[in-house]
Amino acid sequence: MNIFNFKKIASLKRMLFFFMGIFLQIVSISSTSLCQQINFHSPQNIKSFADFLFCDKDYLRAIYEYEKYLSFIDDDTIQFKIAISYSSINDQIDAVEKFKTIKITSPLYEESKIELLKSLYLLNVNSQYFTYADEIIESKSRYSINAEKIKNTSRLLLNHELPDKQIFLFPFDENEKKTLSNFYDRKTNPSYKSGIIAGILSTIIPGAGKIYTKDYSDGITAFLLTGLFTYLAYTNFEHNHSERAWIFTAAGVGFYTGNIYGSIASAQIFNAKINFEFDEGVKLFLQEKNYFTPVYDFCK
Amino acid sequence: MIINNKYLLILFFILQLIIYPQTDWVRWEKSDPTYQLKNSFIEREYDLSIESVSDIIVKPIINAYWFFVSDVDGANCPFQPSCSGFLVQSIRETNPVQGILMFFDRFTRDTNIFGRQDHYPKFDSRHYYDPISLYTLSETKIKFIPANRIVNKE
Repeated sequence: MNIFNFKKIASLKRMLFFFMGIFLQIVSISSTSLCQQINFHSPQNIKSFADFLFCDKDYLRAIYEYEKYLSFIDDDTIQFKIAISYSSINDQIDAVEKFKTIKITSPLYEESKIELLKSLYLLNVNSQYFTYADEIIESKSRYSINAEKIKNTSRLLLNHELPDKQIFLFPFDENEKKTLSNFYDRKTNPSYKSGIIAGILSTIIPGAGKIYTKDYSDGITAFLLTGLFTYLAYTNFEHNHSERAWIFTAAGVGFYTGNIYGSIASAQIFNAKINFEFDEGVKLFLQEKNYFTPVYDFCK
Repeated sequence: MIINNKYLLILFFILQLIIYPQTDWVRWEKSDPTYQLKNSFIEREYDLSIESVSDIIVKPIINAYWFFVSDVDGANCPFQPSCSGFLVQSIRETNPVQGILMFFDRFTRDTNIFGRQDHYPKFDSRHYYDPISLYTLSETKIKFIPANRIVNKE
């Protein structure tokens, strides 16, 4: 028995294909015409895309898109964003150039000056940087205090004499003062070890100089080695093995004098470590404070 | 003889499997692997040229040590440069007396097996970086590198 009416099913199939064809054609025609209407390269769309990239921290591509936008419309905010992007990818030379292009009439002029100071700091702490910092401080602008803070903190990285503690800490708030006071004390009274004392200690007791410079295991090793060779030399002399005794004496003297020398070197390395850790601490502090630059709400 | 189509297909399939690995030699071509560890960090300066009086004594001793002991025994010094290399370089950078003092100090540190990882930066997986510049007593030459860093070039 034939349950299905095959002719009816075939005609239904044909109808279905017909309507599907019409539907697909409508969809394709409408999407094509819609695409024609959207200009993806309009200044506004370029800016929207660039803003998206900027907020996504894709700064390199954001710069490219912002530059494209600037070829249509001159905009100080966009120039500022380009400079911020260069600064964020640590291209401080280009960042400095871009910050310099921000006009005095721009609402972001003062921000650009403090950002420029940050870029100059990241480039090199030199006389140009300090001159520019003084310029901002003397201008009595909104960010003069920030400039004074970054200037005073970065002075810790140089080997120049620091001002009086009260003057040095003046621009900072109470929380910052605690940290900066600690830095100031460490800078003015570093916990260095004296090479002369280390040498003298090792002359009196082999290895004592290295223990003084906190190289404990090296100090103990030096003591044991010197002691061992001295003992070997002594017993060999005692038993009339003069050749061996002289060899052990030479080795013992070598380890003894080498340890005195090494203790002086160890004190120098200890001091270099103190300087290194201090500089790293100051740099980290500035980084955590975002170099005393303001926070912007470009991505809100 | 009638061949069943099914068996014919299976036969083709097996044949092409056999042929394919035979032709895939370009990708899997024969190679001669070596499992010998590369001693790229050792750059032996076998050199007997005399530039100073100390070279008359030091260079033959060092060259003989490298040739008869170190190269045979393997590079076992935990430091970069190795102790013998340190001696040669320290004499070259300073003077024979200071160089020998630096060597004895280095040898003492080499004997100490404790706390190396907290004291020296790493050079590679097996060596600690301990350059001559730290021990010449010239403060300007000291470039401190913290212990947790990896230094892969001189």
